[in-house]
Order: sequence, then structure tokens, then C-alpha cells
Amino acid sequence: MPDNRDDFIISIRYALLKKGAKQKFSLFFLILFSISIITLDKLSLPFMNVSRSIISDIIYRVAIVSSKPAKIIEYSIKMANRHINVYKNNQTLIEEIELLKKQKFDFAYMQSENKILKSALNFSNDKSPNQIFSISAKVIIDLKSPYLKSILINKGTRSGIKKGMSVFNKDYLLGNIIETNYISSRVLLLTDLNSKLPVIIENTNVNAILEGTGKKKNLRLSYLPENYIIESEKIIFTSGKDGFIQGGIPVAKTFLNQKNKIKIKILGDPDQALIVRVTNGQVD
Amino acid sequence: MHYFPQIKNKLLHLLPVLLLYFFSFYNFEELKNIGKINFFSFNFQMILIYFYILKYPEYLGFGHIFLCGLITDTVIGTPLGTTSLSYLSLSLFTTYLRNSTLRSIMTAEWFTFIPALFFSNFIYLIIVNNFSNVSFYYVELLQNTFFTFLFFPFFYYFFNYYQKFFIKD
Repeated sequence: MPDNRDDFIISIRYALLKKGAKQKFSLFFLILFSISIITLDKLSLPFMNVSRSIISDIIYRVAIVSSKPAKIIEYSIKMANRHINVYKNNQTLIEEIELLKKQKFDFAYMQSENKILKSALNFSNDKSPNQIFSISAKVIIDLKSPYLKSILINKGTRSGIKKGMSVFNKDYLLGNIIETNYISSRVLLLTDLNSKLPVIIENTNVNAILEGTGKKKNLRLSYLPENYIIESEKIIFTSGKDGFIQGGIPVAKTFLNQKNKIKIKILGDPDQALIVRVTNGQVD
Repeated sequence: MHYFPQIKNKLLHLLPVLLLYFFSFYNFEELKNIGKINFFSFNFQMILIYFYILKYPEYLGFGHIFLCGLITDTVIGTPLGTTSLSYLSLSLFTTYLRNSTLRSIMTAEWFTFIPALFFSNFIYLIIVNNFSNVSFYYVELLQNTFFTFLFFPFFYYFFNYYQKFFIKD
């Protein structure tokens, strides 16, 4: 038994310290180095934040180049699918336009009525013009690892972007900024497990927290009132209770899935986002 | 012109390192959006590291593995050094296996990949859990680990073939 233990210790020591053929560093040194980087990163020392920011900016630029071949393949497949389904899509679009034309007038009337009522109640949470911030950014990488559902955009602190700002794609909320570098930023998507957003359900005064589960068509509502049963085809809006994001922005929708279960899907599609708007809480 | 064979040979030698860097920068996320490819996602870097440290350690330096881990951390958004430590622990486990194995059998190496994957993922999860606020998707991670294990023989034969027929020492 002691011989076996000695053999094990010798093997481990050999594996850790022996550099081997053409190895410049020993595993022991690199493991220690990794642990010290993790510790320094956790302590969030100022020099670590700056160096992380610089490294991130450089690596993101290289990552854009390396992702080009796959982007071209994806684009070709999408274009082919679009050409195949062009007639069907055209019919659907014509019907949608008719419907939207009808809804447009109702919407304009309700918007002006809402403004009047809010001003009457002195309840307006609109930001003054000098508080408004809005900038367009390009999605450079969209990553959905088992750890984080996020996208990277090509604007950073140089353009005035700050942590916590809201990101929109075609008027739909996509997520918010969680990491800022000098010329790039990371957006945490609403579908991510770590995303929590205060919301209100259409035609009710039910408040809840919208949480991501990692899937576009399976978001979760928590802190709902007891015995409350959610209905399908209801739009979920931001409630504005976090004090930063404007209320009344559509974010998700309930629907019946194939197994007749009510699910919640996000309205903005992060996979289709190419150009996004970064604002400090308001829709453009 | 006589430099061409030398350059070609150098590139062929560097292919594992280049592949490791390429997959660290880019995880084929765009392709995963097509159909059900995402379901079969696997960790190519782990297969590459396990195979080369086990069979041809002179072709893949620990320094490169460490750097690739740092790049992956930056791209994915996990705490800096996490993936490096996970890959290095996989390398440590594999080096230990190499030192204590007398005869190389593919099936044995395939099945020892399970504890190697478990060990390196375990370290990853401990660090992510304790050093960051990131929550992760256990099911996706399990799927990813399972397919990494499942696809190993295919890459084992592919890399073996590559080393035997393309690399001339």
C-alpha cells in the first residue's frame, strides 16, 4: 500500500514538474499562474480591470475575423431558404401589413391618451432631452455558451456606453450591458439565466419578474400572485419598476405550444440582431 | 523554392496548436443556429488537448493551452483563468495517465477520457460557482460533455491518421 502511494505521488510530481519534450513551462507553474489570475480577477483591482478591458478588445477583434467563414455559410443558407419561401412569405407579409394598418390608428390614439392621462396624474417617467442617450452598434459576436447567453457589440466606453444600459433590436428589448471595454461591450440577453426584468402583463395590473432559462421560447415569470393563471396570446411589457428602464416596452409574449402548454417567448430575436440600439432605458 | 517543403512541414507540425487557437477564438456559434446542430455541440479543445498530451505531447505546449484558455474565457465571458485552469487540470490528468500507462489501447484511452472530463469540468464548475455570479445550464453542459466523450474515437482515428501520414520526422 505505501509503495502504491509513493508511485502515485511520484507520478503526480513528475507530471507537475517535468517540462518534457519541447515544453517551455511546467504544469505546476502554469496552474499557479492561472490561480493567481483568477484571484486577481475576483479582487477586481483597477489594473486588472484595465488589462482585462484591453485584452478583451484585442481578442474580440481577432474573433470577428475568425468567425467570418461560418458567417458566410450561415448567410448563404439563409439566403437560399429566403428564396425558396419567397412566395409564402409575401402572402404572410401582405396580411400582416393590412392588420398593422388597422392597428396603427388605434395605437396613435391610445398613445396620445396615455400621455394626457400620465401628465394629469403627474406620473410621467419620461427622461428630459439631456438625459436621453441613444447610439447604434453592430453585433460582432453572438455567443451562447453553456455559461452565458450574450452578444458582443462594437461600441464601448469611448462612445459613452455604461454598464446597465438597455439594448434594443427593432424596438424590442434584447438585454442590457454587463461589461464595457474601450471599443466593445457585452450584452446579457433576456434569455440568459442571470437576466431578471420587472414586467407587467397586458390588460392586467399583475407585476412579475421575467427570468431567462437559456431558451428563446421558454422564459419564466416569477413572483406572480398566488393562484394566478396566465393566459396565452398576452403581451408582457416592462413595468419600469427598476427605475431605469422605461415602462410599457413590449418584451415577451405568451403562447400555446404544440403540447398545449402556455409558454413565454421573447419578442426580439437575438439571433437575427445585426444592428442594435443602446439607450439609457428608453425606446427610440 | 526549396523553402516550401520546410514551411509546409512546419505548418503541418503546428496544425494542432493552430486548431486550438482557432477554436478558442471561435466556437461555430453561427452554425449552431442552423437546425439541431446545437444539440450535438461538443468541446473540441478538450478532445484535442487529451489526444495530443496523451499521444504526441511534443506537438502541443502547455503554454499554448494556457493562452487558449485565457482567450476562451475572454470570448465566453467567464472569469479570467477559469478555462486555463480547467484545460491545465485536464493536461495534468492526461500526463499522469501517460506516465502510468504501459500499453496504448484506444478503448482504454477512450474510457479514461470520462474521469479526465469529469475532473476538468469539476474544477471549472467550482471556480465559476465561487468566483463569479454566472449561473449555468447544467443540461447543456452535460450534453456537451457527453458528446465530447462520444465523438472522441472519431477524432482519435483522424488525429492518428494525420500524425502517421502527414507528419514526417
